[in-house]
Order: sequence, then structure tokens, then C-alpha cells
Amino acid sequence: MASALLAPPSNTSPESALHLSQAAPSFFASQASFNLPWPLSLLSASESQEKWQIYNNIFIACLASGDSESAYLCLEEITDRFGKENERVMALNGLYQEATAKNDTELQAVLGRYEELLQDDPTLFAVRKRRAALLRSMGRTNEAVAALTELLDASPIDAESWAELADVYLTQGLYEQAIFSLEEVLLVTPNAWNIHARLGEVLYLNANHSEGAEQVKGLSEAMRRFCRCIELCDDYLRGYYGLKLTTSRLLPLLSASSQKTSTAELPPPSVKTTEKLNEAATAKLSEIVRRSKSGEKGFDGYSEAELIAAHELLSRDSQNVAR
Amino acid sequence: MAGLVEQQIHRDPALFYWILLPITVVMILTGVLRHYLSTLLQSTPKRQPLPKIREQRSLQRAQNLRNNYQQVSKAAFERRKEAFLEGAKEGKFLADPDARGKARPNPMSDPAMMEGMMGMMKGNVAMMVPQSLIMGWINAFFSGYVIMKLPFPLTPQFKQMLQAGVGTRDLDVRWVSSLSWYFLTLFGLQPVYNFILGSKNAANQMTQQMQQAQMGANPMGGAEDPEKLFNAEGENLEVIDHRYILEGVEDRLLEKLGV
Repeated sequence: MASALLAPPSNTSPESALHLSQAAPSFFASQASFNLPWPLSLLSASESQEKWQIYNNIFIACLASGDSESAYLCLEEITDRFGKENERVMALNGLYQEATAKNDTELQAVLGRYEELLQDDPTLFAVRKRRAALLRSMGRTNEAVAALTELLDASPIDAESWAELADVYLTQGLYEQAIFSLEEVLLVTPNAWNIHARLGEVLYLNANHSEGAEQVKGLSEAMRRFCRCIELCDDYLRGYYGLKLTTSRLLPLLSASSQKTSTAELPPPSVKTTEKLNEAATAKLSEIVRRSKSGEKGFDGYSEAELIAAHELLSRDSQNVAR
Repeated sequence: MAGLVEQQIHRDPALFYWILLPITVVMILTGVLRHYLSTLLQSTPKRQPLPKIREQRSLQRAQNLRNNYQQVSKAAFERRKEAFLEGAKEGKFLADPDARGKARPNPMSDPAMMEGMMGMMKGNVAMMVPQSLIMGWINAFFSGYVIMKLPFPLTPQFKQMLQAGVGTRDLDVRWVSSLSWYFLTLFGLQPVYNFILGSKNAANQMTQQMQQAQMGANPMGGAEDPEKLFNAEGENLEVIDHRYILEGVEDRLLEKLGV
């Protein structure tokens, strides 16, 4: 429970968000009860970073589950502690207003407020991020891209914004730009296996749009990204999924072309290696699917949707073999 | 066999209640006070203007590229390198491109620098004032008492440390004078503060001194010419011999998976 309260809010699923927001009342109660009178309270420091992280997470979970009253209580606590002028408090406040806005005009007003804030102080990066996110969710993608590129020009080491930019580009089908942005993320966080897998996915999508030697090159690059991802985290479902997908796409292409033009920096992998990788990925995927279906310990953290997709990929593959 | 005979000094038990205890309590309370004082006196770090942030982070991006270049392909690396080198040459990343090539102003005249100095001064004052006050107080009221006896023997070198203010040559080293007890508490209460105030307290002066020592020999020289930094970073990037982490990753992976 405590660890769920402390996990970064971005990757909580709807169910756990609901669960978290239901824990809000008990958390409030536990915070309020214990307070020493004034001179004694100076002697004990009851504050910790975790406390505020929990407030933050509950706030976001409450907004996600539509419990805006509890969210407002959290926001008030946070504002009392850190002041209205705090950058992150401003962003959270904006988030609350966004979530409780009823129509487009209200959202527009929130956007106007962000712009006002940024005019006074252009260094409020948290507010800038909120503005970009709001623009994106309002469907004004081009403006969101402009906001993000402007942000990244001022702060090019912000991995979060680079990842967001990559995502926006991806929805627009601009694969080259998305790849560039994801590479930037990797330059900041070189060991993030999920980003490696994400980059592999984008490379795979990009390769789907090319033909011939280009496609082989793109697919093998994607395959290597997935390999690196698995090297860093050896039970990451998406990594194995991508590895299986790319290798099964690569195999017919490799055996068909079989010309040895190793002009590129990295020649495409040999058929034998690809086969082995495909087998390894299939074995691991089916193991993960099987064991997490039966709810074994250590295999229970996978997302339901990903498991279904993996199962589907496996069964499609076995059908092909049967034919 | 004179050494085996233990020195006996009959101490008034009142010494314990009226000297040892007050000194200890006062020292702990000053630590707490100092913690809150320095928290109150702390000036919030001034926000840097956007161009300055941009300059720093662009430089940091180049450093990231230098450290993590293995993550991207050679083409991608070359592209980023060229872009950085060009930008650095034209001074695109600098906070004020107009000031290029001019002599740096004296850091003492920079008001932002003075602000930082003031912050440090405040910290020092919060540390020094109570310390000298208590030192004077102890000297005035409690000097010259032998207040306790250590339960273990020590070599004579500790005499200076443990018997400050008691000018007796033959006194066994195990006896501790009040002034020395003050010094011991001054330097040794860190764990107590950690317990009371949490581990990030500002109560102990030793940690503060350590921080200042770490801040660098000269707080003045912190402002180096950014253009030079960019050029140096560019040179670092140019000498990199690119190696791609995806090279041979499939073989590494197969070996790891034991296939």
C-alpha cells in the first residue's frame, strides 16, 4: 500500500488510481491526529518528502477518479505548505482547474491563465509543461508541438518533455522526428529500458513504411533496440513482444534477400541469430503469459492489455505454423 | 606501583545537577535553535533568468551527449555533434551573445554574487553568535570544575582535550573538566540532532563547515567564461571515437539468455 502511494503518478492504471483515491480519507485522518503543542512541535520534525509525495499522488488519483472534493483538500494542504508562488503548486492548481473545467470556454480560461503566468516568469517549466499538455488535449497539436519545442530549446535536458514530444510526433506519423526525440531521452537516461523498447517500436513502425534494404535496416535496428531493452530488464513484456514481432518480420526478408552488402554501419543480423532470438522471445513470452495467467508470484505485475496482446501474437504465430 | 592506585576525588553530586546537566541541555537547545535560525535566515535561491538556464542546460546536454553517446547511432551522434559545434561557434547558446570576447566583470561587483555571499554570511552568523555567547557563559560560570570521570583509561595526550581550564599537572586523564565537556558536546551532538530534527538539519556547525569546504576553494571563481566552457566541451566531443551500444547486442543477449 505504502509503495503504491509513493509510486510516480504517471503510470498508475485506472484501477489503482481508484484504489488510491479511496485511501484518501484514511490518509487524511492519519495526518491530522498527531500534532504536538507548539513548543514541543519544534523539537520533532514530522515532515518528510514522502508525505508530500503521497499528497501529490492522492491528489492526482482523486482527479483521475473524479473525486474533486478530496483533490481540493489535498491541493489546499499542499498550497498551505509550499505557498501559492511555488512552481509545482501552480502547475497542480492548474491541473485541478483543468480537471474541473466543464466546457471549452473554461479550459480556454485556464490556458489564458497559464499564458499570463508564463509572461510574468518564463522559467516556470512545470507550468509550461501543463500548457503543452493542455494544448494537446484540446486538440491543438501543432501549438502543443510549438510549445514543447520552445520549452526544449530552453531546457534541452528535460527527458519528460522529449518523451512527450516524441509521443505527439508519433500520433502525427512523423517517425523521424519521434525517433530523434526518443534518442534525446536516451541521452539523458541511458539505461531506461522502456525508452529503448519505445524507440524500437517507433523504429519498427518507421520500417513498415519503407521497402527493400531500407526496411531490413530499419527492422534490424528495431530488433537491436529490443535486444538492448531485454538486456537491461529481462522480463519486460513489451521488449519480448517487439523482439518476437521484429524477428518474425525479419526472417523471411533476410532469407529472401541474402545479399551481403555490409555497407551500413551495422550489417543486418544473420538468419541464424534471428531465428534463435525469435525462439527465445517466443519461449519467454509464452512463459510470461502462462505464469501470469495462473497468477504466480513474481509474474503478477503485467498489464492485462499487454498480456492479451502477447497471447494474441503467440496464437497467431502458432496458427501460421499449423497451416 | 603508584600507577595502580586509582585517584579518588570526591565530587559534590550537585556538580552533576548544576553543571553537567545544564551544559548538555543548553548545548542541545542551541543546536535546535541554530537549526531553526538558519532555516529562517535562509534566503530562497534566486530564480535565474531564462537565457542563463538555457545556457547551462545546453552545456549539460552536450555533456550528456559526451557521456552517453553509445546510446545513439553514429549518424545521430554526428548530427548532434555538428549542431552543437556550430551553435557553440556562433554563440547561439550563450546567455548574452553580445558580451562575447569582452573581459569578465569583477565578480565582486555582481549583485547576484553579493547575494550569495550574504547568504553565507548569515549562515556563519547564526553559527558563530550563539557559540561565542555560550563559550563566554561557560567560562564565566563553570570554568575550573572537574565534573566527571571517564570509565576507561586514556593516554596523557588527551589531557589537553579533556582538562581544558583545569591547570593540574598530576590529575588523571580520565577526569573531565566542564570546559572540555562543552567542547565534547559541541562536536559530538550530531546524532542527537539527527534524532530530534531529522537527518537534514542545519544544527551542527561541523557539517556546515564541511559544506563550505566542498563548495570549492574560491566561491568567487565560480563564474567562468561560458564561451570557453562551450569550446572545451566541443573539443571533448570532437575527440570521441564513436562506439554503438547496439553493436553485437544480439549475440550478447543470446549469450545471456543461455541459448
